[in-house]
Amino acid sequence: MAYLVAFHWGWLAGAFAIGLAMGWVAVVHRAPGVSRPVMLLLSALAAILVGAAVACLIPGRAGYWLELLLLLFVPYLVGCAIGTWLRALVVVRSMRTKSAA
Amino acid sequence: MRGLFRWSGKWWPGVIPLVVLWGFAAWTSTVPLENDLAGRSSAALKGSVLDKTSITVDGRDVALRANAFSEAGRRDAVAAVDAVPGVRLVNDETRLVPEAKPFVWSVERDVVRVTLGGNAPLPALKGKLVEATRSALQGGEVADQMSLARGAPPHFEDAALLLIGQIGRLKDGKFTISDGEVSLTGMARELGGREAIAAALAKLPDGFKVASNEVKAPPYIFQAYKDPVAVTVTLSGNVPDENIHAVVVGSSSRKFFSEKVVDNLKNSVGAPANFVNAVVPALGALSRLSTGTLVVSDRDIKISGDALYDAAAGQIRTGLAKDVPQGWQVKADITVKPAAAPVDPTVCQQLFADLLGKARIRFETGRSDLDRDSTGLLDRLVEIAMRCPAANVEIAGHTDAEGDAAANQALSEKRAQAVVDYLVKAGLPAERFTAVGYGSAQPVASNDTGDGRAQNRRIEFLVR
Repeated sequence: MAYLVAFHWGWLAGAFAIGLAMGWVAVVHRAPGVSRPVMLLLSALAAILVGAAVACLIPGRAGYWLELLLLLFVPYLVGCAIGTWLRALVVVRSMRTKSAA
Repeated sequence: MRGLFRWSGKWWPGVIPLVVLWGFAAWTSTVPLENDLAGRSSAALKGSVLDKTSITVDGRDVALRANAFSEAGRRDAVAAVDAVPGVRLVNDETRLVPEAKPFVWSVERDVVRVTLGGNAPLPALKGKLVEATRSALQGGEVADQMSLARGAPPHFEDAALLLIGQIGRLKDGKFTISDGEVSLTGMARELGGREAIAAALAKLPDGFKVASNEVKAPPYIFQAYKDPVAVTVTLSGNVPDENIHAVVVGSSSRKFFSEKVVDNLKNSVGAPANFVNAVVPALGALSRLSTGTLVVSDRDIKISGDALYDAAAGQIRTGLAKDVPQGWQVKADITVKPAAAPVDPTVCQQLFADLLGKARIRFETGRSDLDRDSTGLLDRLVEIAMRCPAANVEIAGHTDAEGDAAANQALSEKRAQAVVDYLVKAGLPAERFTAVGYGSAQPVASNDTGDGRAQNRRIEFLVR
């Protein structure tokens, strides 16, 4: 894992940036959210893919590409969380300022 | 926290650029990653002893194909690749090097090169054997056709290096190790090479024995050439040792009394048995020729040249075959020199005197048997006698003054008669020759010194 991180740090940083941007936008975005059943479905899919990767079920290059995808998701999700959290802080502060005015 | 969860439902649009990013990452990083892992895996196998190693990387999975020389070595190699950071799985396609039964190794020399063949137990030893061969040959071409196999006998390396050390002594041939048995065939480069190889084989390590040694020695050559123009006899080739060398040269000096003996002989081991007993009579036959060549090759004696008269040619042809030891072959290619022009009896007398001035007819000590060393001289005397068919010749025998006078008288008569017999046997008419003995009555030098006595013991030819 350490080897993969070291080898792909550029791409991981990119995924983190996309996540950060997405998180920042998500707070004020008006698009429909993912419904709860879909979320469960996606979580199950994610669990299956992680399981397949950990168990080395998929051989060769395809296995590597799966690992790469899952690996990119980690900084993406972290980026999303941080982006959302920061945006939420900003939004809350501006709402307070408005209500005070 | 609840807000984070709520908003996370809106993170999905970012997955689209993420997937695009993933596509790019997969597109650009797969081959470099595979190359990097292949490099690291190869580096991890540096210390392992393997043959035909091949590493194929597919994603993060490494397929390792190699021949190992032991089960432990095989396991260690797989473990070493497995421990490389970044490698996910090792597809173990390694196997053990096949075991050779019997374990055969050979080194073969021909005109152009030395070829190493058969099996070697380890790559490092294979290289070492090639290197040792190269240094043993000093510049010759070495072809490595060895394959690798398990199952070498203990001390194989020592045995193989010992044989490689001997390959320089071969002109051509092959040394083979089959398990613990060593077989040798071929031809030694020099005389004594066969014996030297046999001596070296005594140092073979424990567990090895010589199954067959069929290394042949090159022919043992002795040559003599009688050159009537340069008035020399050139001896060349080999003699077994210093003593026989002295015997051969001494005998040649006596037999070739008027020629200079050029000694180009060298001492070499490997002579056939009874060498000296064959070569000395052969030199005797050569001394009877006016010009001729003697070649002794192993046990084959080849003599060719011109005899001085018909009977001599016949005597040489049949006599030499009887004189040489058993097991020796004689091939005599003798022609007869054209008879010289007849001359006046006075010229004959002069020729007799000149010839007997150069050398004396020798007899066995105290007896009337002609010494074989004098045969060449006698043939020359016969040749002169044939040139003056009208002349009658008195053969006069003389002795020194040692011993009883009556005995000396009898001895001188017998010795003169022996010479006459020789002349008659050569085909000259008996009535032309008279054997006369003078005992010690006509000394030509003082009988007080050894040298003087030697001069007094003589045969004279007097044309009447």
